[in-house]
Amino acid sequence: MARSKLLRLGVALILVCIILAATFGAWIVHLDDVVTREFQGRHWSVPARVYAAPLELYAGAQISAADLEEELRRLHYRPGDPAAATGVYRRRENSFDLHARRVRFSDELREPQLVSISADANSITALKAADGTELPVFRLDPPVIGSVFPIHGEDRLVLSPADVPLLLRSGIKLIEDRRFDEHHGVDARGLARALWTNLRAGRVVQGGSTLTQQLVKNYFLSDEQTFDRKATEAVMATRLEAHFSKEEILVAYLNEVYLGQDGSRAIHGFGLGSEYYFAKPLAELDAGEVAMLVGLVKGPSYYDPRKHADRARARRNLVLQQFAEAHLIDAAAAQRAAAAPLGLRPPGGSYVPAYLDLVRRHLKRDYAEADLAAAGLSVYTSLDPRAQAAAERSLMLNLQRLDAASRVRGAHLEGALIVAEPNSGDVVAVVGGRDVGTDGFNRALDARRPIGSLVKPAVYLTALETGRYNAATLIEDAPVELKLNGSVWAPQNFEHQIYGWVPMARALAESMNLATVRLGLDLGLPKVADTLRRLGLEAPPALNPSLLLGTVEMTPLEVIEVYTSLANGGFRARLRAVHAVVDENGRPLKSFKVQVEEAAPAAAVYQLDRMLTLVTTRGTGRDAAARLPRGTVVAGKTGTSSDTRDSWFAGFTGSYVAVAWVGYDDNRVTGLTGATGALPVWADTLARLKSASFEPVAPELVEDRWIGFGDGLETTPACSGDAVVISVPKGAALPAKPGCSSLGVAPSPTGTLSDKIKAWFKNIVH
Amino acid sequence: MVQEYRALKTLAAVLAVAVLLSGCPARTRPEPPGNSVPGNEAPGGRPLSPGLPPPPVRAPPPRENYLSPATSSLVTQARTLVSRGDLDGASSTLDRALRIEPNNPLVWIELGRLRLAESDAHQAEGCGRKALSLASGDRGTQAQAGRLLADALRAEGRNQEAIEIERQPFM
Repeated sequence: MARSKLLRLGVALILVCIILAATFGAWIVHLDDVVTREFQGRHWSVPARVYAAPLELYAGAQISAADLEEELRRLHYRPGDPAAATGVYRRRENSFDLHARRVRFSDELREPQLVSISADANSITALKAADGTELPVFRLDPPVIGSVFPIHGEDRLVLSPADVPLLLRSGIKLIEDRRFDEHHGVDARGLARALWTNLRAGRVVQGGSTLTQQLVKNYFLSDEQTFDRKATEAVMATRLEAHFSKEEILVAYLNEVYLGQDGSRAIHGFGLGSEYYFAKPLAELDAGEVAMLVGLVKGPSYYDPRKHADRARARRNLVLQQFAEAHLIDAAAAQRAAAAPLGLRPPGGSYVPAYLDLVRRHLKRDYAEADLAAAGLSVYTSLDPRAQAAAERSLMLNLQRLDAASRVRGAHLEGALIVAEPNSGDVVAVVGGRDVGTDGFNRALDARRPIGSLVKPAVYLTALETGRYNAATLIEDAPVELKLNGSVWAPQNFEHQIYGWVPMARALAESMNLATVRLGLDLGLPKVADTLRRLGLEAPPALNPSLLLGTVEMTPLEVIEVYTSLANGGFRARLRAVHAVVDENGRPLKSFKVQVEEAAPAAAVYQLDRMLTLVTTRGTGRDAAARLPRGTVVAGKTGTSSDTRDSWFAGFTGSYVAVAWVGYDDNRVTGLTGATGALPVWADTLARLKSASFEPVAPELVEDRWIGFGDGLETTPACSGDAVVISVPKGAALPAKPGCSSLGVAPSPTGTLSDKIKAWFKNIVH
Repeated sequence: MVQEYRALKTLAAVLAVAVLLSGCPARTRPEPPGNSVPGNEAPGGRPLSPGLPPPPVRAPPPRENYLSPATSSLVTQARTLVSRGDLDGASSTLDRALRIEPNNPLVWIELGRLRLAESDAHQAEGCGRKALSLASGDRGTQAQAGRLLADALRAEGRNQEAIEIERQPFM
């Protein structure tokens, strides 16, 4: 009886054991499966490297000796003897000897090369090859601006085994997992030692996790400290070790480990960490810098060198001491490094998430997903790091100034800015918000806001295209009342004034609402909408009369598309962030060609553009002049949405087209007009970029004439204090101011402005 | 009567040649060293110093476009690549030229010729129109741009429009 009971108990026990073992086995098989699948997936997804446009050097390029040296430093060229190694330059006064590295461009693999460059305070003066022959043009290395996983969009600078410096390889093992090369994923001895150390100290001072366990934790598990999780972690770590080599695990660890936080962007991996903290590739870090990064692993926020420099320094020095004790470096080097400052790069700068965002979207739009899945792609973009830095800085400084002057407390103004080269459509800078280093809401691409008066040039262009209007044509600024769906629409001028009959040039320059609405209604809404479409607005706007005052909502990216066509003499250039994608072996996947198409007649656009230069000299945008180098001609338009919720400025110089937006994210009233909010951001950016004046080639069908800005009558500067030059179709009949006929002084189409003034003067004398 | 007519005709011809010759020195200025691009029909003329603000063109004096030494060398390089059949390489090289002189009509003409070689007549047309608009006031460059545009239109099967271009005064 008792025996059979015992027997049954035994059987039951065995059964339970078998079930437990089976469950345990299944669990392990499951974890094994997860580990293998996930790790392999991660392991092979090497992101594409993204490059900015290389700086082209040639005699006459506006790059001073100081600019050039700064550029070389940014590309990590070191001063020294260029004959000895690549990546080295020597400067003697204004001449540079440079040993350029081996570098792959989108179209060429260039072998190392010795070059001599002469520059003065303004520009490059000469370029010579090593044998003394003149080089007409030479490009510097394209700077790396980041990496994208084109498909899922994370950012990481992934290291391959060859990229890992020896000191980092040995150093990380020394500090984090001494027995890494011996254990099988879990280190019992290490664990015991950690336990013992922690017991003696009475608190947790040492973690017993191996690198493999840390990797597993980062990859697959949450952060909770439960026995359950610890067990899963241990099993997964051993399975990982069973399937992959130590080398693979170490490199994966170095690419995965969390090293800090940059706003909403997590800094993962030593490649990105090196870039983020030191703005240098990992290979160029010195012992102290490697030690700081290795020390950070223990607690990236506790030892954050930007927030707690003392802690970070103490931690770095402790790591250096251990490096020396383990003979990874010699004691003297450790002491020298311990005495050096942390050497952090200034915050902000090299990281350009808003631009990378545009790159990702263009890649997604233009390339097949299967192509982008290939490992080791290089993406060559149009980003100009100098333009990007200028744009970021102008936006940040102006928003700080505007916030300080604002009566709104507890809210920060936001802004966005895009800069492009109008002829090619190359996008050279994108700023998505004031916090430029973080990967947050990209206002440049995604903030869709009413554009206000930025729409007006489309109305005036429509008028010019009919041939019935020119810049001197009088249009009426008078009250308008329209019955719309039962309610009455009665727009107002910004200053609640009424101006009567005014020349078109003035109505646009001073952004008169009533005159524009009347003109637009005369022309017909569909015509105006069609002009917008031809200039580049993809989504057709609602044909509501308020379209004429810019209730249509657009993103800064859409606005710049339209203004590029205006800057470009009526040619639409497709915006281009990506020039080419090249595979691991340098073969182009596909390149992105410049695309131009005629969008509007050149003569009409030229007349409009000349009217837009009056905006910045006589109209709402006249504050621009004070911020630009003296005499720089720019064309543009201010925009303010209802109740000053959005402040816009869009315009162009001879070199760039740019759009700036300023407003609050929650759409509250800013109290800023286009002129007080966005214009300074725009003008400061273009001033920093040393832009050329906007002086387009005049079509043969037009000529310059003087009119009174107030009355639109043809005149001479001596006759009218408010005389301005406009462009009209050749031989256009303009009513003249009595007694001021400019007959005989009507500037010939082939004279410069000063010729015209001389001719006019001669006329007075006669 | 007939004799007189002949003499007049000869005189007119001589005069015409004289006028043409007297006009020549103005048009064909000596080429700056290093600027020549083989096969380019309109080198020489006003230097376009890259980067410096272009001379005022508000009401342009008769002008001639030419390539800066930097763009000129890139254009030459692009032509070499084309002759080797490397059209992609040529395209990237002209892209560089465009970054240096984005509003030089001669670069756009070069780009348009390349698009034709790539059988992209539509884009060749765009480049031709763009070049024509940038060449305003420069007969020689206008004629080159016009020929490109006419070729592009023919390639698109738009012969009538091509003929209209060829009838323009600058052709």
